[in-house]
Amino acid sequence: MKSFHVEILIAKHFKKSVFQNKAVFIITLFIGVLLLYAAFSGWENYTRQNETSEKYQHESRKDWLNNPDKNPHRMAHYGNFAFRKSTSLSVFEFGMEPFFGNAIFLEAHKQNTANFSEAGFSNSMLRFGEISSAMIVQVLLPLLIFFLGFNAVAAERENGTLKLLLSQGISWKQLLAGKILGVASVIMLLFVPTIIILVLIWLLLQHFSISPDEILKLLLFLLFHFVYLLFFCAIAVLVSAASTTSKKALISLIGIWLVCTIILPRTTQAMGAYLYKAPSKIQFNSDIEKDILKQGDSHNPNDLHYKAIKDSLLLAYKVDSVQQLPFNYSGFIMTEGEKISSRIYNKHLEALLKIYDQQNSFSKAVSFINPYIAMKNISMGLSNTDYDSYIDFQKQAEAYRYNMAQKMNGLQIKFISNKKPGATDKPLTIDKEHWAEVAEFHYEPKGIRAVLKSEISSVISIMLWISLLFILIRLAAKKLKAI
Amino acid sequence: MLVLLFKNFIRSKGTKIGLLFLLLIGFLSLLIGKQFQEKQQHTIAEAIHYQQEHIARNAAFHKDEMGLLLYYIKFSLVNKTVPVNSLAIGQRDVNPSVQSVTIRGLEAQQYDAELNNPNNLLSGNIDFSFVLVYLFPLLIIAFTYNIISEEKESGTWKIVATQSQNTFLYILKLFYIRILSLIVLLSLVLIAAVLFLSIPIDQSFLAFYGLGILYLLFWFAVCFYIVSLQKNSNFNAVLLLTIWLFLIIVLPATINTYIVSQYPVPEALELTLKQRNAYHEKWDMDKKITIDKFYSHYPQFKNYPLPETEFSWLWYYAMQQAGDDDSSVQSKELQSKLKQRNEASAFIALFIPTLHTQLQLNEIAKSDLENQLLFLKATRQFHEKLRLHFYPKIFGNEAVNQQKWGQFKVETFEDTSAVKLSKAFLPLFLFNLFFIVLGWRNFRNHKLQTF
Repeated sequence: MKSFHVEILIAKHFKKSVFQNKAVFIITLFIGVLLLYAAFSGWENYTRQNETSEKYQHESRKDWLNNPDKNPHRMAHYGNFAFRKSTSLSVFEFGMEPFFGNAIFLEAHKQNTANFSEAGFSNSMLRFGEISSAMIVQVLLPLLIFFLGFNAVAAERENGTLKLLLSQGISWKQLLAGKILGVASVIMLLFVPTIIILVLIWLLLQHFSISPDEILKLLLFLLFHFVYLLFFCAIAVLVSAASTTSKKALISLIGIWLVCTIILPRTTQAMGAYLYKAPSKIQFNSDIEKDILKQGDSHNPNDLHYKAIKDSLLLAYKVDSVQQLPFNYSGFIMTEGEKISSRIYNKHLEALLKIYDQQNSFSKAVSFINPYIAMKNISMGLSNTDYDSYIDFQKQAEAYRYNMAQKMNGLQIKFISNKKPGATDKPLTIDKEHWAEVAEFHYEPKGIRAVLKSEISSVISIMLWISLLFILIRLAAKKLKAI
Repeated sequence: MLVLLFKNFIRSKGTKIGLLFLLLIGFLSLLIGKQFQEKQQHTIAEAIHYQQEHIARNAAFHKDEMGLLLYYIKFSLVNKTVPVNSLAIGQRDVNPSVQSVTIRGLEAQQYDAELNNPNNLLSGNIDFSFVLVYLFPLLIIAFTYNIISEEKESGTWKIVATQSQNTFLYILKLFYIRILSLIVLLSLVLIAAVLFLSIPIDQSFLAFYGLGILYLLFWFAVCFYIVSLQKNSNFNAVLLLTIWLFLIIVLPATINTYIVSQYPVPEALELTLKQRNAYHEKWDMDKKITIDKFYSHYPQFKNYPLPETEFSWLWYYAMQQAGDDDSSVQSKELQSKLKQRNEASAFIALFIPTLHTQLQLNEIAKSDLENQLLFLKATRQFHEKLRLHFYPKIFGNEAVNQQKWGQFKVETFEDTSAVKLSKAFLPLFLFNLFFIVLGWRNFRNHKLQTF
């Protein structure tokens, strides 16, 4: 078996020299404190978000059930709420959460927007980004790695010790591996305690009862971040080895960092948004309204679509007026109206989501040249704070809304007399025990399979990056010169 | 001497690439601003067109019942976008610039969100304020971090020290050239903005420009101070980038977390729940209670008695009104929370130049939270005005076709709050002074070592 004695020796030596530098020590310590702060504020955020959302979800459910006997259509307008809940990994990765609406009001005839996002209640401060554990690991640690690693080889070259090392029989491969190991071992001093704290918080949050799906998500979350950090360690050492002076190495590394984490993410998304214009809400809604009117207006007595329905009903039941039908006619018409308007709404929504997908396609494509975006996408996916999860939440809420509205229409058809009450009669009602027939809204976050499927391009990208790195190290070992 | 120094500066490949990159991305930001401006204009045009068509169509359908008609029709209020807005989009992408409301309960309508791709919001706009706040400092750092150290490391510093009588003045000249180049660049982009986005050169624009220059000077002052420590290039680069990271990402993000946890807004959800119940429970209550409440809110409508029928529009709108009235406590709490948030962050920002600049630019561009709160307030007034106009017509069941529907045009809210120049400029000015004095003292005390 091959022993890695030399590599380990180089790594140890590197680690020792790093901590002789006081500035590095301070920065590392500081990032450690920041990580702690991020973990605990994430914890607090998560608890508050979920407690609030659970509290109001239950309260709104209680209110729903407490309604007295009513006409079911009144209940369809009373409506329900879908409050968004976070998954436990979102303690570490906030992703797009601050931009998600937290509550959707679900009522008959109308698809409401998801309202009350954190961003809507914030001034522009939020736009500078947020401090989450994931952000520190994905953005700040790579920079720290670069600060640690820029002179890993270049400084030895400047001092002339590089020639000495190589002439003592150490191969380039051993040297590079040793230095990478050295940088990594310093970073692990931060990363490993972080993992321990994160896992503890994560266990506490779920009261130690965890589904296999969540375990898998956590493991992948940690694994990908680990690989991601190693990747940057390798880049730092390789650039350092390829640069003639440590200053050049530093400047190149800073450049790489800026492009990957600050400039590319914004520009690619902005490019997508620029090229594929999405409609505003007014435009979107008025387009839907136009289509619904084209399809048929249930409020218009002379509308062709609804007149045809009426005529066929009259024919089938062999009666001359809708009042003679054996079931509630207006409930029937509303069922039809809901069906039509939902179909049209969904058609427009699909078109809108397609535009959004096109906008996002740039970022997805760029994940192949930018490991940061790939990592970010994976981590947001695993913590269900990505775009797809949000759309999924909205779709679940809409499905719930549709079922609720149709259930109420069904109750009306079945239990409400078809004879309209007179102007001074009491309104027609049904028993309140029917309200419990509509189940409470429950949001089911996407499972690990669905997440990996939607973020597949990022997973592939990370793997490609890793293989490219091995090739680069091999190439470098052959091509690099001591001077 | 200056000309020579300038030639030397501009001849470097790095300088050219840096300036060109910034110029390009500056122009790109104008393109994005232009698109945003067009989208806003398009939305407003759509709102105007839609409202006309929508009211006419509904008035034709529901011609017998005023109450039913007003159940449906929506009236729009536009939050006016000033031209400078294209340079600092701020919160205008998150918050809708048009509010469309019926005269029914307002609380259920006024917080309706704009349609958005959360991905775009997360990564943020490349508007000009981003280029100014994020990218200009990077170039300033790149241009100045090695002003002395480079010459020391390459051994030319001794020549400089022996040839010029006042090395401090020499350093000032180096800074002067760089400051001038970047101010010229800033001016170029802003002049292009004036032409391309048809921004009038008024007080807001000049304030924007002035703030931009002060902000650039702030970064030069910081670099001047770091350079005055006379460390090596690598140290300067690491330190300056760390400062940048701090001021641009770490501090604002930490403060944001603090504000969010200090001023949480559960009132928002409380409010929606409350308003739903407050309205709906009235359907099952004695009508008299609702009506009496309504009369005590609007004594002027007491002369419209409640009809005998089971359903009446007076009762219906009294119920809708009750939804708003009963949830007004929560509504006011929410507003005051948001106000507190805004004030707290503006106060903290006074001590963080990057944050301060961004917030001020947004304030000038009327795209900050303050503007949104004012717009919400204007929406409430707009809504109240419509109610007061239509209530007597509904209760008296006036004929629909007797109304002049054409007069209900889309209205515009204009945020006229003036830019407070002293508040905008003073913090930056003081910071600049602070770092310049510190740097100057360093140069005086330590003399310039020649290695």
